[in-house]
Amino acid sequence: MIQLEDITKSYSLGKEAVNVLRGISLEIKSGEFVAIMGPSGSGKSTLMNIIGCLDRPTTGSYYLNEEDVSQHKDQELAKVRNQSIGFVFQQFQLLPRLTALKNVELPMVYAGASKKEREERARDALAKVGLQDRVAHLPNELSGGQKQRVAIARALVNDPSLILADEPTGALDTETSVAIMDLFVQLNQEGTTIVVVTHEPEVAEYANRVIYVRDGLLGQNPLEKGGQTQ
Amino acid sequence: MSLWENIKMALMSVRAHKMRSILTMLGIIIGVAAVIVVVAIGQGGEAMLKSQIAGDGNSIEVFYQPSEEEMQQGKWEENPFTQEDIRQLEGIEKVSNVVASSSEFSTARLRDEEAETSITGINEAYLDVNQLKVEEGRSFTSADFLGGRRVAVVSAAMQEELFEGESPIGEIIRIGVQPVEVIGVLEKPTGLFAFGSVEAYIPWTSMRNMLGTSNYSQVTLQVQNADDIQPIGDRATTVLNQLHDTEDSYQVINMEEIAQGIGQVTTIMTTIIGSIAGISLLVGGIGVMNIMLVSVTERTREIGIRKSLGATRQQILLQFLVESIILTLIGGIIGIVLGAGTAYLVSFFADWPSLISWQVVLGAVLFSMLIGIAFGLLPANKASRLDPIDSLRYE
Repeated sequence: MIQLEDITKSYSLGKEAVNVLRGISLEIKSGEFVAIMGPSGSGKSTLMNIIGCLDRPTTGSYYLNEEDVSQHKDQELAKVRNQSIGFVFQQFQLLPRLTALKNVELPMVYAGASKKEREERARDALAKVGLQDRVAHLPNELSGGQKQRVAIARALVNDPSLILADEPTGALDTETSVAIMDLFVQLNQEGTTIVVVTHEPEVAEYANRVIYVRDGLLGQNPLEKGGQTQ
Repeated sequence: MSLWENIKMALMSVRAHKMRSILTMLGIIIGVAAVIVVVAIGQGGEAMLKSQIAGDGNSIEVFYQPSEEEMQQGKWEENPFTQEDIRQLEGIEKVSNVVASSSEFSTARLRDEEAETSITGINEAYLDVNQLKVEEGRSFTSADFLGGRRVAVVSAAMQEELFEGESPIGEIIRIGVQPVEVIGVLEKPTGLFAFGSVEAYIPWTSMRNMLGTSNYSQVTLQVQNADDIQPIGDRATTVLNQLHDTEDSYQVINMEEIAQGIGQVTTIMTTIIGSIAGISLLVGGIGVMNIMLVSVTERTREIGIRKSLGATRQQILLQFLVESIILTLIGGIIGIVLGAGTAYLVSFFADWPSLISWQVVLGAVLFSMLIGIAFGLLPANKASRLDPIDSLRYE
């Protein structure tokens, strides 16, 4: 479903070019639960941005659902983000003035769904994450775990082929983190492909497969090698 | 995403920052209100001036202005219109009334009270054509004119002056030494240029008997159709000049030209003051742009979130553009209401006609929307170009 072929990404800092990704090829199949790990500065955030169609690779090609999205224009990328990808962020990224229900409706607003359909599907999505009795609450009336559940409901609502979570438990306590990760496992068992970017091994343990990124390249599992990290 | 969705979103955002929105709109409100007030007062004032000067546009004054040669020959006449002249003028086709009068200054006395007054001897058409209405008592009858009865209709100012506001009906006053019975009081004049002067009107025939005036000093023609006024005026002067064997001593003023001149002056004034008011609208627009730029910066993260959820650049652009249009449109509508109210108050107190044309209102609405678009484009474009990755990280 996701196929990266020799992806590189470089930025120019002044006159110098910084190569953040230096040739990454990987494949993620539909229905997988993958964790991307790596120390900060390794390029894992850039990789996530490219997978999430928020950014374009400098060279290489990226096939999402057999479609080459690496050279898509802004407008086409926006459509891919809207239809095929659901984002979950560390800082939840909910709009503070909208109720939980309205927040979940947002992706469907940009998809052009009717008001009735939006509300129905947003309620269903919130029920799925266990927040059916919190639909009318504003984000600041919800706990951290509840906010993240709203964000997951929002990621789910357009029925994307991929949910991309960037440090989804980074702002949560251990107990809540477990509950959120359990929710991801449950969604994965129902057939959703999930990619989690994290630096916490406990989180990575929930995944079926772990991809390590180091210095802009895919690396070996440092733990298997006898490990330099931790 | 539909336009309606955008409008609802914009209204929500305007409501969310009430104070800021109102202050932002204030520039537009004041600008639009100022333009409307200036234009309404300008047009109302112009209409009033024209009606004051030209009347209803169907009467024209004939005046006597002998040439220097004739003056030297001693042909000058103090009361240049004879009874015969009036009869001839009445005979001209399409003339509906010939108003003739002759006035003098004199002293009116009631017992010990005295008042300086102008005495106007009038013919039968005078009061009607000059739209003078008798408020108390009665007006003149044909018999008063034919018989030269010693009766007078006085102005409200005279009633104040001589009768200290008491009803003068039936009282005998002396004009000079001649006793005259007061039969009516005129309505108080209204309007900016109407001064309540002390006046008494008596039938011209009575005036002739009392004061020995032999002729009329003022003649005004009223015609059936305002369009005929100039040719009939010309015809009248020809008749009079022939009758008196003069070259060009009897003339008419072209009221239309004067009215046009006034129209030009007021239009220039309105344009100048209106453009100054328009500048405040421009300043208001810059205020809107300023606030929208602040708003874009403040909502960088919101823009990032929306983009990550699939909002296209155009959708973000439209969102902010609609928001600035809504701001200026609401401001414009409030400005129209405020401006119309102020114009109404001014015209009410100055007794001017209040002229707020739908063109001005429509223009104001469109113009404030245009300002919203013009000054909203830059901030909206800035918002639409934000990078989603950077925006999501924005604190």
